[in-house]
Amino acid sequence: MHTVLTRGNATVAYTLSVLACLTFSCFLSTVFLDYRTDANINTVRVLVKNVPDYGASREKHDLGYITFDLQTNLTGIFNWNVKQLFLYLTAEYQTPANQLNQVVLWDKIILRGENAVLDFKNLNTKYYFWDDGNGLKDNRNVSLYLSWNIIPNAGLLPSVQATGKHLFKFPADYATSSI
Amino acid sequence: MLDIQTHMDFVGQGKAERWSRLIITVFGVIGLIYGAIVQQFSQTVYILGAGFLLSSLITIPPWPLFRRNPLKWQKPIQTDGSSAKSSPSSESGDEGKKKKK
Repeated sequence: MHTVLTRGNATVAYTLSVLACLTFSCFLSTVFLDYRTDANINTVRVLVKNVPDYGASREKHDLGYITFDLQTNLTGIFNWNVKQLFLYLTAEYQTPANQLNQVVLWDKIILRGENAVLDFKNLNTKYYFWDDGNGLKDNRNVSLYLSWNIIPNAGLLPSVQATGKHLFKFPADYATSSI
Repeated sequence: MLDIQTHMDFVGQGKAERWSRLIITVFGVIGLIYGAIVQQFSQTVYILGAGFLLSSLITIPPWPLFRRNPLKWQKPIQTDGSSAKSSPSSESGDEGKKKKK
């Protein structure tokens, strides 16, 4: 502490140590919170087509086409350790070929301060609902659920699943006309 | 000639370190509490930054406040033979003994 430079060095170093402690306190204050919330999901149109998947094998695969309603209130999730939420809607089903199929159909980023009360009607999916075979036609048990990643200031990057799930079934016949 | 002192004495250095630790810690705690109340971690960081600036201003420059306990040096012993009167050396020796007590 005998020159200006050593004192400056000590001050900067101590400030950074304190900042690390404060950041850790912020993490500790939010790590045990329960971020689950209810979400209401409903399907409006449900079709399945059998079309060539040029993105993969060029063989004819099942392509699901759905529109959906989504209602949820995520305002309670935000706190001083949440910068943004990454919402994504997953379809989950079982086929003879695979025990577990998960397809992400739609996603959305909500920054803190933006409107977190969602009420969407008849929304189109953002991504194609491809099956890797013919497992969608007449599938009686497809579940649709919302999840989100919490992007924090400090700490873990939890992935949380909403408590509401929607079950729907695909029709037994392929849709022939263009959608 | 201007006689600008730029040093801190030992007591002043100790004082400067204690004050800088105290100011930064207090601002950090206040910032944490305020940030938790308004739920904005950026406020915590800004308040800590204010504490850093205040502490830098107070404890980094060698203010005269940190120079109040100068060291008492013994008088120089003259070792030059031509002007040796043996009295200055004995005087300084006595002073040194007094200070040690």
